[in-house]
Amino acid sequence: MDVESVVYVLSKLRFSERLPGSMLVRIAALAELRGFPAHSVLFRENADNDHLMIVAVGRVALDMQVPGRGEVRIMSLGPGDMLAWSALLGQGRMTTSAVALEDTQVVAIRARNVLQLCESEPEFGYQLMRQVAEALANRLVATRLQLLDLFAETEPFVPQGPD
Amino acid sequence: MTAVAPPRNLPESETLLLAKTDFQAFLDQLWQGGYRVIGPTIAQQAIVYDEVRRVEDLPRGWTDEQRGGQYRLKRRDDDAWFGFVVGPHSPKRYFFPPQVAVAQADRTANGWQFSEVPDQEPPYALLGVRACELGAIAVQDRTFINEQYVDPIYRRRRERALIVAVNCTQAASTCFCTSMKTGPRCTKGFDLALTELPDSFTVEVGSDRGEEVLSTLPTIMATPSMLRQAENVRQQAVDQITKRLDTKDIRDLLLGSLEHPRWDEVATRCLSCTNCTMVCPTCFCSSVKEVSDLTGDHVQREREWDTCFNWDFSYMNGGIVRNQIRSRYRQWLTHKLASWIDQFGVSGCVGCGRCITWCPVAIDLTEEVAAIRENPA
Amino acid sequence: MSVPASSAIAENPWLGQSVEIDAITPELPGVATYHLRFRDAELNSRYRFRPGQFNMLYLPGVGEIAISLSAANDISGTWDHTIRVAGNVTRTLAGLGVGGKLALRGPYGTSWPLDECAGADIILVAGGIGLAPLRPAIHAALAQRKRFGPTTLLYGARSPDMLLYRRDYEAWTDRGLNMSATVDRFQPGWSGDVGVVPLLVDRLRPLKPANSVMFLCGPEVMMRYTVRSALERGLRKDQIWVSLERNMQCAVGLCGHCQLGPAFVCKDGPVFRYDRIEPFLNVEGL
Repeated sequence: MDVESVVYVLSKLRFSERLPGSMLVRIAALAELRGFPAHSVLFRENADNDHLMIVAVGRVALDMQVPGRGEVRIMSLGPGDMLAWSALLGQGRMTTSAVALEDTQVVAIRARNVLQLCESEPEFGYQLMRQVAEALANRLVATRLQLLDLFAETEPFVPQGPD
Repeated sequence: MTAVAPPRNLPESETLLLAKTDFQAFLDQLWQGGYRVIGPTIAQQAIVYDEVRRVEDLPRGWTDEQRGGQYRLKRRDDDAWFGFVVGPHSPKRYFFPPQVAVAQADRTANGWQFSEVPDQEPPYALLGVRACELGAIAVQDRTFINEQYVDPIYRRRRERALIVAVNCTQAASTCFCTSMKTGPRCTKGFDLALTELPDSFTVEVGSDRGEEVLSTLPTIMATPSMLRQAENVRQQAVDQITKRLDTKDIRDLLLGSLEHPRWDEVATRCLSCTNCTMVCPTCFCSSVKEVSDLTGDHVQREREWDTCFNWDFSYMNGGIVRNQIRSRYRQWLTHKLASWIDQFGVSGCVGCGRCITWCPVAIDLTEEVAAIRENPA
Repeated sequence: MSVPASSAIAENPWLGQSVEIDAITPELPGVATYHLRFRDAELNSRYRFRPGQFNMLYLPGVGEIAISLSAANDISGTWDHTIRVAGNVTRTLAGLGVGGKLALRGPYGTSWPLDECAGADIILVAGGIGLAPLRPAIHAALAQRKRFGPTTLLYGARSPDMLLYRRDYEAWTDRGLNMSATVDRFQPGWSGDVGVVPLLVDRLRPLKPANSVMFLCGPEVMMRYTVRSALERGLRKDQIWVSLERNMQCAVGLCGHCQLGPAFVCKDGPVFRYDRIEPFLNVEGL
């Protein structure tokens, strides 16, 4: 798999919008494209995984195991969305399982190598971490909105009197 | 402060004079003509609008002292008939009544039948309307009779009403009609406008209807000296106005200051008591409630005055939008002085000062605006 | 003194027309679509509304509520209103059956500006019961496919069993609607997206922002973040239209209840172009 194809795929994703082309080449050198047929597992919750992933094509669901409720699907991701960030930021232990909802292709980036690059080249590290932070911030906002349960049936509100 | 310009199209040579001794005949003629004459009277230690049949019903020899949070009647040392300013009532209660049936529904075999509720009120002759009130009527005309919707009750009563205005000869400390360009001089919107002199009234005619009413009364042409006297007493009102509201760019100032800390500050004083909206001559908020008879087959829809200061005025399923006093005060003030301009092309405020007088904690909207203007957001 | 003239229809705005419940379609728990017919057959054939408008439905003795029209049913000749039980009036209405009699005033308000969007790519975004006021726009856009660019519906609900009008989706997609649905809460058997509606906007492809318009209806928080995503994708504020809700009583701008800043939601809305209403939408407690 040549670096050029990886660079091409990466460059089309929102993750790469503000990264200089030279950086994409260096990330691509540490990455590969992986295909997952529909219904296959990208990784399991609690398993070790040392690749940061970005969805290029397709859809992926994130599931968490809740005793008494089984597998609970918490969110689905599409092209441009980042997953397995624990590989980069955590100990490499996955916080969710990931399942392909349809035929999916991801860019899988070797976390250990990229982290070494971040350490040795602070500018590179800053740019990359900023993108990761932004992706996580957006994920946080989306999760909060889910938490707000905006479509919950509102109980009929009866004014009782001013506080 | 310069006086408001004299009325257009009414050359002074057309001003008439009506002796006070002929005023009772004037009232009688109005009643006989089918009008219900409403004018200032004294009740519960205030000057309020009620039926006036005899000149003795007027508050002759009384005046009002007003400041923020205070209203007192005081005896004058003369017998002036209209020697006071404005009380808690305004003409709005006649065209836009506090409580009125707007529609009714009857259950029939085929479903509900809807109909108007005939308005039984005779035409009003409103006596003693001040310039600020004429301004307020013009403002409410834009709300209730507009290009999209018309309130039939308002329109009917308004079209049939005779408006006999009275020029102010003094001002209260709460008046600021000059800032809002509505007074103190009556310039338009009346059928007749009176200025009180010791023994007579100068009478300006503002419409054909006014002219017709006067035609059978023993009026004479006002002499130049009478006209000068009238001008002098009207000038007294102008000279006594001390309060100002700076209206320069007020729409953008207020709608651009929706998060100003002043709203929090005024909320520590405002009780959300709704007095200001009740006495304001332009406030128009209302609610309709269902009143059904015992069988449930006949329902009347009663419209009542409502107020944005009511806690649940902005209730939506799920909650109350303006849950805090801060929000409600902001709504009232920004609507009155700013949003109203977007909605109706004019300010909602006519500078009558009632809201200042009747606020139990003396909140003065001219001060609130000044505070925001001084420290723009 | 002259009273202003007005070309407004000199009718009492409080008088309604008698209607009957022709049929009821249960939709979701607590939500049903009432198919209403005017008692006056001539009026029933004459009545028209534009997508996005609402009626005031009146139960004498109980009260009145503002409900968006969710369809004009050409086959049955009825006017559809999708209603959720939320208070006294809706609860009483839910107790009436077919044949129940009530009154209707309307239609009122502004509508989705389809007429001004010929040639545009139409993106409809709805959340929860917010799909109801957009449904007539879906019908109108699909009925005139050639007038518009691709028409897309992005729809989110609480959970798969709360997806409104689910039985219509296949007919819509067969007629050319691109559709994505998402839910906040997964239920077994659901193979669609999980997550909030703004994420569907983030991922919408293909997208030609310069040629797109967005019509948006749902809870205000959802709309706020959907707009944020739309702007990030390159749409401008004047390409986005939102449908708002406030306490509507008279529906004719006379009672004062529905005001949001200078706007009367009943007559300047409920559909607003986003740039015109934005300064007031984001102020807490306005």
